[in-house]
Amino acid sequence: MTQDVHEAVGTDRSPRPRRELTTAFVVSRIAVLAVAAAILLYAVPPLVAAESWVSLTLLGLAAAAIAYLYLTRRFIPAKYLVPGTLFLIAFQVLPVLYTVTTAFTNFGDGHRGDKADAVTAIETGSVRQAPGSPEYGLTTALRGDELVFLLVDPKTKQVRLGTGEGLTPLEGAQVGLTGKVLSAPGVTVLKAPEAAARGQEISALSVPTPGGVIKANGLSRAVEGRAALVYEAACDCVKGNGDTWTADEDQGYFVNAKGEHLAQGWQVNVGLDNFARVLTNPTISGYFVGVLGWNLVFALVSVAGTFGLGMAVALALHHPRMRGTKAYRIALILPYAMPAFAMLLVWRDMFNRDFGLINQFFGLNVDWLGEPLTARFAVILVNLWLGFPYMFLVTTGALQAIPRELTEAASIDGATPSKAFRRVTLPLLLVALTPLLISSFAFNFNNFNAIALTTEGGPFPAESPQVGATDLLITYTFRLAFGAGGAQFGFAAAISVFIFAIVAVISAVAFRRTRKQEEVYA
Amino acid sequence: MRIALRHVFVLLVCAFALFPILFVVSAAINPMGTLASTDLLPSGASLNNFVNLLTSDSYPFGRWFFNSVFIALASSFASLLLSMLAAYAFSRMRFAGRRVGLLALLLIQMFPQFLAIVTIFMIFTRVTELYPAFGFNTVWGLLLLYLGGALGVNTWLMKGFLDTVPKELDEAATVDGATHAQIFWRVIMPLVTPILAVTALLAFIGVMSEFLMANVFLRDPESKTLAVGMYGMIAGDHRNANFGMFAAATLLTAVPTVSVFLWLQKYIVSGLTAGAVKG
Amino acid sequence: MRVRVLGVAALSTLAFAATACGDSGAPASSAQPSGSASASAPASAAGGTLVIWADPSRVKPLKPFADQFGTENGVTVEVKEISKDNQMTFLTASQQGSGPDIMIGAHDWIGNLVQNGAIDPVTLTDEQKAAFSEIAMKAVTFNGQVYGAPYAVENIALIRNTKLAPDAPATLDEMIDKGKELKKAGKVKEVLCLPVGVKGDAFHAYPLFASAGGALFGQTASGDPDPKQVLLGSEGSVKAFGKLKELGEKGDGALKTSVTNENYIVNFAAGKCAYLISGPWAMSEVKKGGVSYDITPVPAFKDGKPATPFVGVQTFFVAAKGKSKALAQEFVANYVTNKDVAKALYEADPRPPALTAALQEVQAADPDAAKFMDAGKSGMPMPAIPEMAAIWEPFGIAETAVVKGGDAAKAAAAAQKAIDGALKN
Repeated sequence: MTQDVHEAVGTDRSPRPRRELTTAFVVSRIAVLAVAAAILLYAVPPLVAAESWVSLTLLGLAAAAIAYLYLTRRFIPAKYLVPGTLFLIAFQVLPVLYTVTTAFTNFGDGHRGDKADAVTAIETGSVRQAPGSPEYGLTTALRGDELVFLLVDPKTKQVRLGTGEGLTPLEGAQVGLTGKVLSAPGVTVLKAPEAAARGQEISALSVPTPGGVIKANGLSRAVEGRAALVYEAACDCVKGNGDTWTADEDQGYFVNAKGEHLAQGWQVNVGLDNFARVLTNPTISGYFVGVLGWNLVFALVSVAGTFGLGMAVALALHHPRMRGTKAYRIALILPYAMPAFAMLLVWRDMFNRDFGLINQFFGLNVDWLGEPLTARFAVILVNLWLGFPYMFLVTTGALQAIPRELTEAASIDGATPSKAFRRVTLPLLLVALTPLLISSFAFNFNNFNAIALTTEGGPFPAESPQVGATDLLITYTFRLAFGAGGAQFGFAAAISVFIFAIVAVISAVAFRRTRKQEEVYA
Repeated sequence: MRIALRHVFVLLVCAFALFPILFVVSAAINPMGTLASTDLLPSGASLNNFVNLLTSDSYPFGRWFFNSVFIALASSFASLLLSMLAAYAFSRMRFAGRRVGLLALLLIQMFPQFLAIVTIFMIFTRVTELYPAFGFNTVWGLLLLYLGGALGVNTWLMKGFLDTVPKELDEAATVDGATHAQIFWRVIMPLVTPILAVTALLAFIGVMSEFLMANVFLRDPESKTLAVGMYGMIAGDHRNANFGMFAAATLLTAVPTVSVFLWLQKYIVSGLTAGAVKG
Repeated sequence: MRVRVLGVAALSTLAFAATACGDSGAPASSAQPSGSASASAPASAAGGTLVIWADPSRVKPLKPFADQFGTENGVTVEVKEISKDNQMTFLTASQQGSGPDIMIGAHDWIGNLVQNGAIDPVTLTDEQKAAFSEIAMKAVTFNGQVYGAPYAVENIALIRNTKLAPDAPATLDEMIDKGKELKKAGKVKEVLCLPVGVKGDAFHAYPLFASAGGALFGQTASGDPDPKQVLLGSEGSVKAFGKLKELGEKGDGALKTSVTNENYIVNFAAGKCAYLISGPWAMSEVKKGGVSYDITPVPAFKDGKPATPFVGVQTFFVAAKGKSKALAQEFVANYVTNKDVAKALYEADPRPPALTAALQEVQAADPDAAKFMDAGKSGMPMPAIPEMAAIWEPFGIAETAVVKGGDAAKAAAAAQKAIDGALKN
């Protein structure tokens, strides 16, 4: 076999000695430079326009580094690794880093933005229409370059001119039937599209009045209102409605003397609070061992089951005299070709006690998803169905890498097929597939959808509604983080870090074994 | 193992694989289309659900179909290239940080990515402002995003396969004066077609069923992918009314995947008859 | 770090603040100049588009009105579709500056949207407010402020198969008896089609729960739900869970975990049960099944409290961080509140309109709409406080537990404990 390939390569043999400037070398280098230049040409102008010099500098440095990497003859591994790694960093590593930093904050519903956002929201939310004030009909106009409001009192039909300075009566305006001003001396009335295009200016203009300010409400009405709650920087507090709420930078809320807080808060650093909460929360610590145990069983059985079944079918089909393999293979990958979320819902319906296909088909009356043991069996079965085609495919691929001569040699040596499988085929398969098994373990350890779309963690014992029989660590901790009053991203991030630590340790230990296998071929 | 036994075993597994799908077929051709009906045999047979699906003006199924296939093909091709390059370096070269890099690649996939959406919004809000062509609501932005997952498990799969290809091959080529690039393209690539095909198929399926990112990225009904569009069909209180069409759509979704499989199958099993390495 | 289009939003409100407290605070005066500068610069770029986000079923009906509004005002209106986790996606996108100008969602999001500063109040005239049904207005009012324009009102009612059960039951007990009688006679398979599922369904169970004396929250002085007083473990609620247990699998068999959200409507449409408790969304399937039906309010238990259903109100929200707020306000406050628009929206997607005048016009052609509206008249707007999110799941789990024959007191106590723990009461 090796001989064959030698010859194959031989036909391509280049007679030139190494380390010479070949045409291919020059062309590929020019191509690299051209691509880099094209990307720069595209990427630079918007950055210049946005005046983001930091990004521009980073882009320049990155471009220079990449150009250098592909022009030099050194750093060969990096030439192969950089393209994928760039994307990996942008869309996988950054989210992970972001998650980890979030774990130290109270980021979540009620604490999404910064303090300025919270102040804005508090004040906006407290604006009330001034009692007894009219609903002005609004027409926008230009006085020179300045945007002004022409305000029509609906009762008196009197027209007034509103500017940033205040309200002045306007004589000689023509008012149409709809209450819009058609024309007025000294100003140019804006037509609908012109007004719409100046939407931001219109929102921004406020006409001061003795009782508050007049603001546009849309493009055709204006109202006079005032904010009931007002932020004062001097005391770093919000005052209004006869009460005072002082900023509490530990909680990220404005809190009054009674300890009540305003709804809108902001994101603050909470140190290790979220981690402490994971460790001390009685709902987490009280059930942790039980859930972890089931979680491990679920992940291990899922991996072993899908791999075992997938490999068994792949081996069964891996025989020169096997017929109909094409049709079989299609049938076997079908579960993988359908959208998983749809099929999870289908399975859930099939397990229904009274209306489900499974009870109907086998003449049973089992409450599959209603009893702990059957529910666990059901989710594992469903997961097996969803996952084995993947294992079937990768094993089929990996089997091609095992020279048939090896297994044949083993059988000539008198080994039984099963012995040949265990001594030759399986070890070789595992070389290629162990990392996939580890990664499949990690995936199933955190297989949120497989649980959330079937049993939703249930069945739940009546006396402890927080933890169900099929709950994985990720499903029940996330229920805690997202259940009450919205999402608590900071807490969930801390949970993620813990779960990651558990999976990573298990996986890293398993990974050490691959070094030995790899050395067989190194 | 006897051939007959092999057939029996494979048939049993096929039955397991097809059982729920038959149920979907039944729902799809059932005129009262619903997944909640108790019977495997439909109360009648008609192609109404398919007709409704393909002619519906609220669900541009054809567009979704095309979008999905296009995105999945483009993305799987690009990510295949990226991961193959990386796998080659990891398998054939020895450099500082190699083991760490491999382990990191494995571990990164294990981090629960529930905050990914927030980060994606942070990144792509900026990208949309600067480069609208790669921002939200564009296929190109989504493709870039999918390339973030190009390394990961696929690299491992191909590296594992490359490890089983004898090193003597490229050493011989090196002696003959080939550069690393020539070895990669002329020696390695032809040898690994089975695993390339498998990885391509896996990447294709992965993108076809990807849902979370596509949901926030593609917001025009016309630009949706199958997974997102179909989810919308049963989202909220329209769940029951659309189940028949939904079942039909589920079946049709399998068509591109099966086609790609049929196309790639000859590469996947190329070693079977001709030996592992063709001359 | 990021260029946010916040200047404008911040300015518009701070201006109110500045004048409200004569001696203006520091943030207001500092924001003023920068705000007006940023206001004029992007106006030409972003002023001409209005972006609306809706869930898939509402995109199509909205499109013609969006286009019409666009033509009238010379702007482009884009209706975008989000399929999953709409509220969360809206919040995240808004926060990062890629959100829409207008969001469509259920009124019970309001509490959470407000605490995240994601939506602005909408100023409606007294005349406009009076045009909406009372319950719709009540639903979109939060902390005394109107936070959106209601567009459709949805609640559940009792839908019965008039062939199997010709008379509307006066009480729930009567309905259960009739259902059991029909089941015994082999005319139906199930006593009642009300979804319970593997994890309970608080939305559909609530009328029964309320009628049996159960309650979720106490009330604040102003009559709003008080998150500090969770009443799931109260005596009344324990009794109510006990009642659900009597109706459950070990009792009357009217409530079953095998009746789920996926199959309950279909079962009714196929004549497998005589009574269905569901909302307007069930009607297309029911009509497809060809059963003759009538819609009445969910009856109360004998000597029980009224069986109040939850009322959900579909609402247009103005995003606080939208780029075209003036247009958004114009659209929400002055355009979709128009009767013709409401009627046409109904025709495209038949949900009882929140505008009374529109409802009156459509009910002539579609009596169902008025019947549903009538059933929801005494209903309870779904609590919009963010703390409501903590209720659904523990309630559902307790419901499933008692339906399967578990102890009501234990289930109620466990639910109360779980919710108190989550809300840190």
